[in-house]
Amino acid sequence: MTTRYDATAAMEIVNAGTPGASCVDGGVLFLEPESVADSIRTLRDSEESDLVFLSNLTAVDHERHFEVVYHLQSLDRNHILQVKARLTDREDPVLPSLTGVYHGAHLQEREVYDLFGIRFEGHPDLRRMFLWDGFPGYPLRKDFLQMPGQIRAGLPGFPHESEENAWPVPGSVPQRPMHPNDPQPEGDVVVAEDDGEAEA
Amino acid sequence: MTTADDTRLAMQEDSHLAMQGTIEALTTGDGSEPVVVNLGPQHPSTHGVFRLKVTLDGEIVQDAEMRIGYLHRSMEKLAEERTYTQNIPFTDRIDYLAAMSNNLAYCLAAEELLGVEVPPRAQAIRVMFAELQRVASHAMANGTFINDCGAWHTPLFYMFRDRERVLDMFEMTCGARLTTNYMRIGGVAFDLPDELLPTLESFLADMPERIADYEALLMENEILHARARGVGVISPELAVNSSLSGPVLRATGVPWDLRKANPYCGYEDYEFDVPVGEQGDCFDRFLVRMAEVKESLKILRQVVDTLPDGPYLADVPLHARPEPGEAYARVESPRGELGFYLVSDGGPAPYRFHCRPPSLINLTALKEMSVGGTLADAIVTLGSIDIVVGEIDR
Repeated sequence: MTTRYDATAAMEIVNAGTPGASCVDGGVLFLEPESVADSIRTLRDSEESDLVFLSNLTAVDHERHFEVVYHLQSLDRNHILQVKARLTDREDPVLPSLTGVYHGAHLQEREVYDLFGIRFEGHPDLRRMFLWDGFPGYPLRKDFLQMPGQIRAGLPGFPHESEENAWPVPGSVPQRPMHPNDPQPEGDVVVAEDDGEAEA
Repeated sequence: MTTADDTRLAMQEDSHLAMQGTIEALTTGDGSEPVVVNLGPQHPSTHGVFRLKVTLDGEIVQDAEMRIGYLHRSMEKLAEERTYTQNIPFTDRIDYLAAMSNNLAYCLAAEELLGVEVPPRAQAIRVMFAELQRVASHAMANGTFINDCGAWHTPLFYMFRDRERVLDMFEMTCGARLTTNYMRIGGVAFDLPDELLPTLESFLADMPERIADYEALLMENEILHARARGVGVISPELAVNSSLSGPVLRATGVPWDLRKANPYCGYEDYEFDVPVGEQGDCFDRFLVRMAEVKESLKILRQVVDTLPDGPYLADVPLHARPEPGEAYARVESPRGELGFYLVSDGGPAPYRFHCRPPSLINLTALKEMSVGGTLADAIVTLGSIDIVVGEIDR
């Protein structure tokens, strides 16, 4: 059975090389964005953590910040560690590329760049992958094709929970543009309120 | 004195020499300007709308670059506006050749978020269908791989006979052959129909003979050896570093199988081996898949013998709102490590829905596998990775 690798032990390994590069919150190792590649290289090469396999690399848009999520796996010791890095700059989020540590990060980082607009510095071939060059916007960001008056796309709730959530009568709701080049709806876009989550 | 015949002979000689030079230049490369050739997006060897741009020096591949996105449907964004149950049919369309495995991986992730216990009968049914799906998917993978090697359609249609029987079993259970939408959060959608177990019994009785036939036809086949042995080789170190998984990784000799390493749905109760290769070439990938089919049949035999009674679906509310949190669940799909990463903010739909696609990530090392070989070898290599474009592009 794959066990979860103790994040505190991982933090000690990372901070022995670069003091203050990481902290632990809820069993997840948080890394300082600028030291991500070096810290993960330390975790890969350390005998004790032995995280030689990059299982998964993706990102989440938390509106106030981006979170890049790494799942690192040890094949011999059969444990997995979840590592995250938080990026607060929405205009130009940058992170060091992991391609020098894991060749497997190559396509996964390109995918994150394509759909979230997070740049990976040092990536040898950082281009859009699924969408064409010049595609306006980054689709997996929560503010992509955002409707006015709505915090973000998504289901507000189940219809039976309140009258506001009842299925709308066809034609009563303005149609969301299907493409970024379509005319955008007018009106102010509501900015999400601070959810009180501490910044890393 | 030069006759007309002599002139003709001299000209023939010249043209013969010129032709030989051309052939030599074509096959070994003379260092002249490289040629760029596009394979795809519509090409039989690319198994879908997938474009491979190869730079050739003669017939030798110097660079291979893939262009993808022709089948991009933005599933991860669409899933953010649908409830957890409504998202299950999307997972069918991610990998349409292994819909059951995708259903399973997604449901495991959603169950981890919701904290659902799955009843034992549902676990056994899930294992049964995941393994049937592996038999069907490997039949497709091996058949098309041999097709790419030049055995035009005969082995492919032999293997399609077996796949057809599996799809018939899917149809009688859930009404669909490819996009099954069979697993549910907390179990499976329907109990097994009465006619399924007898059909499965006859399938299990026939398959050993079929596999022996294929082995007699293919294992010692000289052409297949010539086309696939030593082609598309990758070392175990580079395979692990490139995050390869599934038969592509195991063909290099790394015995990494999530059914053993991180058992789900009660795989720890069944006895089976993890076949591995030695050389990490295309032929080993083919051998690993053939051996895995036998192991799947072993698991199916045990599932049928020990199938427990009881409910097939846990009591999960259709309108489920998981607690805020996240889950990452992985299964060993026919193509490799298939993971779903779900983030919940307490709402009715996933805040983030991410699929870890083995088809895409196994392509990371395609360039390393094909550079230095001939163009024909690159096609065999691509066939041996067993990609599904729906999963690459999502």
